[in-house]
Amino acid sequence: MPAPPPDAGSAQLLDVAARLVELARKAGAGEAEAYAESSREASVRVRDGEVEELSQATSKGVGLRVIGKGRLGFAYGTDFSRDGLRRIAESAVALSRLSAKDENNALPRGAVLGFNPEGTGDYDPAIEQLDPAWKLAAAREAERAAKGADPRVRKFDSTGAGDYLAHAAVVSSRGAAGASRATYVSVDCSPVAEENGQLQTSSWSDTRRTLAALEQPEQIGRTAALRATRMLGARKAKTQRVPVVLDPRMAAGFIGGLAAAVNGNLVYKKSSFLGALKGERVAPETFTLVDDATLPRGLATRPLDGEGVASRRTVVIERGILREFLYDAWAARKASARSTGSAQRGWGSLPAIGTSNFFLERGTATPEEIVRGVKQGLYVTAMLGRGADVVTGDYSRGANGIWIENGELAWPVQEVTVSGSLLEMLRGVDAIGTDLEHRSSTAAPTIRFAELTVSGS
Amino acid sequence: MPATPRTRTSRRRIASPAARAPASRSRGSANGVAGRPSAAPAPARLLPLPLVEKLLGAASARGAEFAEVYVERSTTTAVSLDEGKIRSAQVGSVTGVGIRAIRGAQVGYAYSDDLDEAALLRTAQTAALIADGTREVSPQAVSRRPLPQHYAVKTPLAEVDVARKIALVSRADVAARGYDRRIRQVMGGYADQTREILVANTLGHFAEDRQDLCRLGIQCVAFGKDERRTGFYGGGGRVDFRFFDDFSPEQVGREAARQAVATLGAVPAPAGPQTVVLAPGWSGILLHEAVGHGLEADFIRKGTSLFAGKLGEKVASELVTVIDDGTVANARGSLNVDDEGNPGERKVLIEKGVLKGYLYDHLSAQLTGQRSTGSGRRQSFRHAPLPRMTNTYLAQGDATPDEIVGGVRKGLYCRQFGGGQVDISNGNFVFEISEAYLIEDGEITKPVRGAMLIGVGPEALKNVSQVGCDASHDPGLGTCGKDGQSVPVGVGLPTVRIDGMTVGGTGS
Repeated sequence: MPAPPPDAGSAQLLDVAARLVELARKAGAGEAEAYAESSREASVRVRDGEVEELSQATSKGVGLRVIGKGRLGFAYGTDFSRDGLRRIAESAVALSRLSAKDENNALPRGAVLGFNPEGTGDYDPAIEQLDPAWKLAAAREAERAAKGADPRVRKFDSTGAGDYLAHAAVVSSRGAAGASRATYVSVDCSPVAEENGQLQTSSWSDTRRTLAALEQPEQIGRTAALRATRMLGARKAKTQRVPVVLDPRMAAGFIGGLAAAVNGNLVYKKSSFLGALKGERVAPETFTLVDDATLPRGLATRPLDGEGVASRRTVVIERGILREFLYDAWAARKASARSTGSAQRGWGSLPAIGTSNFFLERGTATPEEIVRGVKQGLYVTAMLGRGADVVTGDYSRGANGIWIENGELAWPVQEVTVSGSLLEMLRGVDAIGTDLEHRSSTAAPTIRFAELTVSGS
Repeated sequence: MPATPRTRTSRRRIASPAARAPASRSRGSANGVAGRPSAAPAPARLLPLPLVEKLLGAASARGAEFAEVYVERSTTTAVSLDEGKIRSAQVGSVTGVGIRAIRGAQVGYAYSDDLDEAALLRTAQTAALIADGTREVSPQAVSRRPLPQHYAVKTPLAEVDVARKIALVSRADVAARGYDRRIRQVMGGYADQTREILVANTLGHFAEDRQDLCRLGIQCVAFGKDERRTGFYGGGGRVDFRFFDDFSPEQVGREAARQAVATLGAVPAPAGPQTVVLAPGWSGILLHEAVGHGLEADFIRKGTSLFAGKLGEKVASELVTVIDDGTVANARGSLNVDDEGNPGERKVLIEKGVLKGYLYDHLSAQLTGQRSTGSGRRQSFRHAPLPRMTNTYLAQGDATPDEIVGGVRKGLYCRQFGGGQVDISNGNFVFEISEAYLIEDGEITKPVRGAMLIGVGPEALKNVSQVGCDASHDPGLGTCGKDGQSVPVGVGLPTVRIDGMTVGGTGS
């Protein structure tokens, strides 16, 4: 389906990208593709009700990929003048002559290219026009609500609100030509609670593509304060094997760690613990993992990916069965697969496989029921470290949270680690919550693992 | 690109939707690369001084007490290799200006990648909005600050032929594959950056610096029976390209391969508290996470660090002396001048266990009546500076590494390390152990896998019971993240024994 006529911002980027492709062809490129972005951001941070920092900026950039006889070159810059673009074109072509020949280097072409109108996503003029006074008021309200929620909250790491507008366009000599745009607004609050000399911090935030969908700043402040104060008095737990529950934000982190395991390039290189298991059961029936660039109201919803391939919804794990991996054009060609429209891109780098709206579908148990089903265990609310190693299949992260005793959240825990083998963890998911919210592009409801190693005292 | 050991605080500034748009904000900026496409003569000043002075005037026109203009040109080259082939070679150049105005504790920040005078004046006026008075707009005169030279690099890395950079990665790949037939995947990357900065402020200071930085890194995957293990090694710094004549790519490839093969057949790491011995070098990440971030003066000023208000108190074993040193020759974290125009310094943070000082940028110093320690750093012109570490290391002790290991009846020997992270409020930190072995009766025995250390900064440092005589800096790999800004850092540690450290793992 053809794209709608572009807005002014997109039209300008499409023009820059088209000119750069033309210059690259003149400089001797076989195939050429330009990806351009422009953005505007403005934010305010407050402390004790006063402005702490105001920042505002616009920026832009363009990257050029050229391929000649299977050899790849890439250059980028921020100078959109004719001379600036010409320098980028010449650099990219010169570099392509130094790279190794790889027959899989080819720009996407034909039917996969396009614009999926279901992925157009939100662009909210109310955010484009947002008054700085609104952001100041929102940030103040979040800070005030956090302080009001509990007398032990007196200090803040940071509280703020911001907006962000972005345009992107991709044009190639193989027929890609498309643009997308997005608006974002966010409020965030990171209070520090203090009692008996112990400091505990937490943060809560909301980011949306439309102003109307944004959580009330007051609610953000209260939630942040609760998350910090309930950690006061935290201590170590004993080393033991117990059920572990991840709250939605931590569950999203776990799901995000799986993204690399379904990266088609890593799978092709036998560098994923899931690589050999396509078509097999890797998780319980209740577990469905989706990457959906067309999700209504999604933060990462987009009509096309970073190399012009039309957006789609990909079911990665369907009721526990591993179904599909994620591909960009290069990895797809190598693996004789089809691009899933998963090329992630910024103007300063080559496309690479990434997720869009990547989420675990909601389950049937309320979060309260999930906790109630645990006699002794850990409810995790914050984590430290990288966690999942998809090459080796090992998982180990630092964790903070609340100890569960007889189905109740009993006392705060810090300085422990949670460890397991990723495949055993997936197979051992024994409850999935109803509380899925798309607060970030990677999202999940509460999940429970039947048994993991908690290491502490 | 191979895995990068990264360190970061758990602070987040703005919720990142991780969608394409926000992710691109930091692209093409300062993170570890460089390379002007063609050799150029010595560059003209990044921005004419009269214009800089005019911008300072405009930024303080509404009554700001302090204004600063930061100009940066960053040229980068990056080469990546995968499956035995050079996957790509790329170059880019980004120039921009960041303008800051401060009134009291309030900061206005704006930046532009458009360098014409009208656009820059608009940027200065935007930053000026933080103050609301009026003042006559007049240029603010500046004079040059003399600087030391800790990293004289003769030929800017940007001007070194890309073909030579490609050759480095290919040589490392061949060496890694040749090390052992079980090495099946090798990913390699070389990146360099030539970053020129000009910073001027209404205190009348003006400084210019060229900061070259490079890094070669190789990641290997060894395939065993039903298991895969990884290894990572590399290095670089603020060095001439000749550095790689001695620090050979073959050595890098072989070491990455060695790590991957050595851990094949590893048993799960034992979980729970135990004695650990850290091998020297990159293990310095312990200091970076356990104390370094918590001593950064923005956290101290806001009272959000557990080290706030503890100057003069005992916060570590008396064997522990921690130094942050921006003057180490050619090191990755060294600075002739920080991103606010102050010279890099050597600071003793903890001396024999007693807390001696914090790391200050201009703003934190100003607000607390201290002086800047040359610790104001930023990822690029798109970011306002923050207090940051440079090269953070532990002064050496007098135990030999053999004595240290020999004295442990049962414990864990940690030889290679991944990244780490800290929560600066409760002091919880973690760091990953990528290559570890059991110590049994004073001998290093079986390899273990999946280990991670967790602790609370001051407690872990109080449990340091032996410090080796083999002080060593990391080979030049580290990148530290804070508030979404990445900057290159160095760390160092001699062999160290810590008792009662909690090890995360799945074994018993």
